[in-house]
Amino acid sequence: MNERLQRLSTHGLLADRKVTQLIGFTLLIFILFSTFSPNIFFSPQNFRSMAYQVPEIAILSIAVMLSMLTGGIDLSIVSISNASALVAAYIMTQNSSESGQISTTWILIACFLGIILGLLCGAINAFLIAFLNVTPILATLATLTLFNGIAIGMTNGISVSDLPEQFIRLGNGTFFGIPTPFVLMIIVAAGVGYLINRTGLGLKIFLIGTNRKAAQYSVMADKKVIAWTYIVSGFLSALAGLIIAARTSAASPDFGNSYILLAIVIVVLGGVNPMGGFGTVTGVVLATIVLQMVASGFNALRFSQFFYLAAQGGVLVLVMMVNTILEQRRARASVTKSLGKI
Amino acid sequence: MNFGKLLRRNETVLIIAIVLFSILIGSRSSEFFTLANLFDILRSSFVQLLFALGVLIVIISGGIDVSFPIVGIFAGYTAVVIMRNFKLDEESLLIPIVLAIVIGVLLGGLNAIAITGFGIPTLIATLGTAGIFKGVMLSFIGASFISNIPVGLDDFSTADLIKFESDAGLLVRLHVLIIPIVIITVLVSLMLTRTLFGRSIYALGGGVEPTRRLGISVKRTQTKIYMLVGGLSGLAGILYISLQRKANPYDLAGSELDVIAAVVLGGASIMGGYGTVFGTVLGVLFINMIKNNLVLLGVSSSWQRAAVGVLLVIGITIQAVTENRKLKRQRVATSGEVDSK
Repeated sequence: MNERLQRLSTHGLLADRKVTQLIGFTLLIFILFSTFSPNIFFSPQNFRSMAYQVPEIAILSIAVMLSMLTGGIDLSIVSISNASALVAAYIMTQNSSESGQISTTWILIACFLGIILGLLCGAINAFLIAFLNVTPILATLATLTLFNGIAIGMTNGISVSDLPEQFIRLGNGTFFGIPTPFVLMIIVAAGVGYLINRTGLGLKIFLIGTNRKAAQYSVMADKKVIAWTYIVSGFLSALAGLIIAARTSAASPDFGNSYILLAIVIVVLGGVNPMGGFGTVTGVVLATIVLQMVASGFNALRFSQFFYLAAQGGVLVLVMMVNTILEQRRARASVTKSLGKI
Repeated sequence: MNFGKLLRRNETVLIIAIVLFSILIGSRSSEFFTLANLFDILRSSFVQLLFALGVLIVIISGGIDVSFPIVGIFAGYTAVVIMRNFKLDEESLLIPIVLAIVIGVLLGGLNAIAITGFGIPTLIATLGTAGIFKGVMLSFIGASFISNIPVGLDDFSTADLIKFESDAGLLVRLHVLIIPIVIITVLVSLMLTRTLFGRSIYALGGGVEPTRRLGISVKRTQTKIYMLVGGLSGLAGILYISLQRKANPYDLAGSELDVIAAVVLGGASIMGGYGTVFGTVLGVLFINMIKNNLVLLGVSSSWQRAAVGVLLVIGITIQAVTENRKLKRQRVATSGEVDSK
């Protein structure tokens, strides 16, 4: 029995200690808020609204995770998503008739061009980081300013609103009873999970994140792999931008500036190693849900929104502290163990 | 010094860029080459330069701090709140400044605990503490805009060293802050180049393990660095409030990337171990010159951020390309030696 249990825990989902911890943490938070606020937090309306809020930030966090797996970081995600949403929104408003009618083809074209812009922005990041050897944090810091600046310049800093009906339905409708953005998030999570766990590219991403020198000596085309992660990250950011625009029926150049901090908090909370080489999509999605539950729970208990900001930072620092302490203890335990054998 | 080497230095490139831009803007508009404009650029650079000096120290040590604007506004705003609640001497300029610096050092100490005590990567640690500081300030200290700041601070905003009316009828003024700022800049420069502490900061940026083997306490050095940066940020925060003549707890947040950009443009290596105060000063002046005077070039103000972005991309690309070339030359040089043997 014991042996079988061990096999289960080393081969299944529980193999990842961090994901197990997170599942426990999620349940704890869920029970905590449900008991303290049974009427507001533990209500179908609350879970519905959470299901609409989680996807955009989850997709952005997955984008950050991809770059972090190679040991880099992508700070330009929010700028890319805003720029893409603005382009799509602009095309839609330009091509709709006086009464706000627009053909579905135009919406598809607008979304397509928005995604293309995201890929293009990702390609610029990829060029700077992979081929010119600029440090990722610097390159994306510069492109963050650049993309955001271009978005402000094009629109004079004004947001584009009143998007067509069919497009808004994408962000507020349901698909077989499940909110459409949530379905999109699951598709993205499954896709990225497949990419990093089941393909050669994914394996190379992990290997480069673990030890880039070793990967170079193994003739691994490290530049190409790193370039791909930033292009995919740009694509995901553009997708998140379109979802945000569809949900809020508006696109603006300075929407969601706090999302960069939030995405990094989520990724680290989700167990991704900021130095690269380790991370799971499950962890990131779970971490998003935990933080959204904390936000909704605080809201239900009528704490101020600023308190939530402090809690975000506190959770980040706390998780990192616990990780360090556990790691130290584990290292000490393994040293004692090997000494005992001798 | 070798002329070619001098030309390749980052500071030289920046000076050339500043001169070229000055000529370009000056040829388009006569307003550029005036004393009033120069003093305006200086005035808008003061606070940013103080922040930038702190960031420079952290970056040289191989870390990165994104909490400094929050530390600055936290310290400044709290100092003003304390002044008002405890009815401290309204006329005094020294009390709020000392208060802000002390609060800044304390917050820097908290950063240091997270970084040295628990070994959290600096970017993650300061991202977390920035959130905590901001949340604590807005929920417990105050979230409202204070427009009547203490008289001492308010008066200081118009304390001008030089003040006269130009021929064109423009009021030309140079703020008295220029003197302390220059002194602080020189002190930081001397500290970095001439003291044991300064040299250990560079050593730390070069590598943590070698520094430890040199017999330098890594934790103590890091603690000092983050407390010093906290103090500098606190000073910058209270001066910002004084120059603006209002205390708004939502200000400064979001300016961290601009300051880091200025420091990096000034040639500091984000990997640590390299950076000069002179380069940082040039970087800050260059960015402020561009920001303040793009309108004179006929660029509308909404494109300002894009222009700064373009400059940044060009700046880091030049740095990366020179770095790549240097690495290649080293490789060629070493393999050449092997061949000749």
